[in-house]
Amino acid sequence: MPPRSVPREDRLFYFSLVPFAYIIIAALLLLALSITWKALPALEAYGIDLFLRNVWAPREDSPGDYGLLAAIYGTLVSAFIAVVLALPLSVSLAIAVEELAPKPLRGAIAFLNDVAAGFPTIAFGLWGVEYLVPFLRDYVMRPLYSSIGFLPTFSCEPLSGASLLAAGTLLAFMVTPFMTALIREAYASVPFHLREAAASVSSAWYQEVLLVLGMIKPAIVAALLLGYGRAAGETVAVSLVVGNSFNVSLCLFAPSYTVSALIANQFGNATYYPLMPEVLFAGGVFLFVIGLVINWMGVRMIERVRWVG
Amino acid sequence: MGGSYALLVEGLKVWYGRRQVLRGISFKLPPSSILAVMGPSGSGKSTLLRAINRLLDYVPDARVEGRVEVFGLDVYRENPYRVRRLVGMVFQTPNPFPHMSIYDNVAVGPRLHGLAKSRDELDRIVEWALKAAMLWDEVKDRLHEPPTKLSGGQQQRLSLARALALKPSILLLDEPTANIDPTNARRLEESIRRVAVEDGVTVVMVTHTPQQALRISDYVAFIYEGKLVEFGRTREVALNPSHKLTAMYFRGEL
Ligand SMILES: Nc1ncnc2c1ncn2[C@@H]1O[C@H](COP(=O)(O)OP(=O)(O)OP(=O)(O)O)[C@@H](O)[C@H]1O
Ligand SMILES: [Mg+2]
Repeated sequence: MPPRSVPREDRLFYFSLVPFAYIIIAALLLLALSITWKALPALEAYGIDLFLRNVWAPREDSPGDYGLLAAIYGTLVSAFIAVVLALPLSVSLAIAVEELAPKPLRGAIAFLNDVAAGFPTIAFGLWGVEYLVPFLRDYVMRPLYSSIGFLPTFSCEPLSGASLLAAGTLLAFMVTPFMTALIREAYASVPFHLREAAASVSSAWYQEVLLVLGMIKPAIVAALLLGYGRAAGETVAVSLVVGNSFNVSLCLFAPSYTVSALIANQFGNATYYPLMPEVLFAGGVFLFVIGLVINWMGVRMIERVRWVG
Repeated sequence: MGGSYALLVEGLKVWYGRRQVLRGISFKLPPSSILAVMGPSGSGKSTLLRAINRLLDYVPDARVEGRVEVFGLDVYRENPYRVRRLVGMVFQTPNPFPHMSIYDNVAVGPRLHGLAKSRDELDRIVEWALKAAMLWDEVKDRLHEPPTKLSGGQQQRLSLARALALKPSILLLDEPTANIDPTNARRLEESIRRVAVEDGVTVVMVTHTPQQALRISDYVAFIYEGKLVEFGRTREVALNPSHKLTAMYFRGEL
């Protein structure tokens, strides 16, 4: 609410905006409700097991047996790999732009970065299938498998290369521009007088940079969370490189699935199989819930970057 | 050259972009003395301080010409971090790190420069610096709270403690008492005086009040439109200003 002392025109302006705000909130609520509504029959039929078991046995004559665990596991792990790889990349890129790039170049790099953040995801997917997956298979997965294959995460022989690791790596490339933009913006927002303070107490440039990064830590955590949310919801590109197979395995080289890839691949034919559409809607509910929780936390973190003085 | 001086400034010129702000400033300051820098707003006092400890490196279009020596060390040929370790600064706006506790704000410099060999030693440095900045009694029970809860004047003294914790040879103070009530301002002046006398720190302090300059400084410099129009021992300048601008300033007419 605007304070009471606000002039009448401003109050009018404020109240004219209210309907739009409520329309957006109402649309979101409606979306959540309708997805949940559609998912209810599946939730009733399978209960919590729908999210805890790994089965995919569709039948045409009667409801088959379904459990989304493989796709949920794949979603969570591939998004995790993505942010773990993207975080150091984004932080380094942000520092490179803000600290090292010559002034005239900064704008150009920032612009390119923001363009990349809005790039069509299918373009990433095609590049991933054609170049990234074979490259990872030949130069990362095979060497790791043959040298330290005794570690559970590297313990299966890579076949096509389509796998959790491929999906996570591709997602890392996709969320890096987005995360870089968030971190860069926070970095640039550090007030000059705090930058001078950092310069005054440091004994080397890297310490100064670390001090500045310390000041924007909430923004970095926010970038991590929001990047995770994006990676977990990404669909087309991932479905091209994840392998699309119902696996729950610690091994990162095994083909796997994600919830959104599963929905995209199966939905077209789902109506032939009783309860399969409802199961896929339940997958949608899962994505909606983690998206909501993670984004909410991320936005709360961003709000914590406030400068005093 | 200049080995016996704490601070030597020679032919110092500074530009921001194409605009010249300092127009050839030269002076010498002996160790353990206090210099009060005066002059109207916008005359270039803060710029002079930032030129001395190379913070102008951070102003993208600033250009510096001339020579600054700190105990014989050529500031513009030295590692800037080493310069800033020797030449501490307290700024016009209080600027404690908002993401660190009060304790860490004071400890950060000694930590990054490896000045303390043990936790105990670090504790002692922090306590000494906070006492020297006359903040200890007010914060000793809340060292691990964030500095954002402190008042403006307390934050300013915390900034002073942070600078003192590095045991600087020269201390640059940009209107340190501007945000503090008169009583606290007097106490801060006292502690600045003590740091100069007991710890041998050379102080360069920007002030807007001639009375303050008379109270604590050994030397005064008067800057007008980027030029040093007066430099000398405080008493001599006050009694017998060689420039009519200085005289007017001391009479409060500028
Ligand atoms: N970063 C900057 N870029 C461009 N011009 C600047 C910059 N900083 C200061 N100036 C200009 O340089 C001149 C001197 O500024 P400076 O801050 O040194 O003055 P000052 O004597 O400290 O003034 P005050 O008493 O108000 O603090 C002013 O005209 C100011 O507008
Ligand atoms: Mg100033």
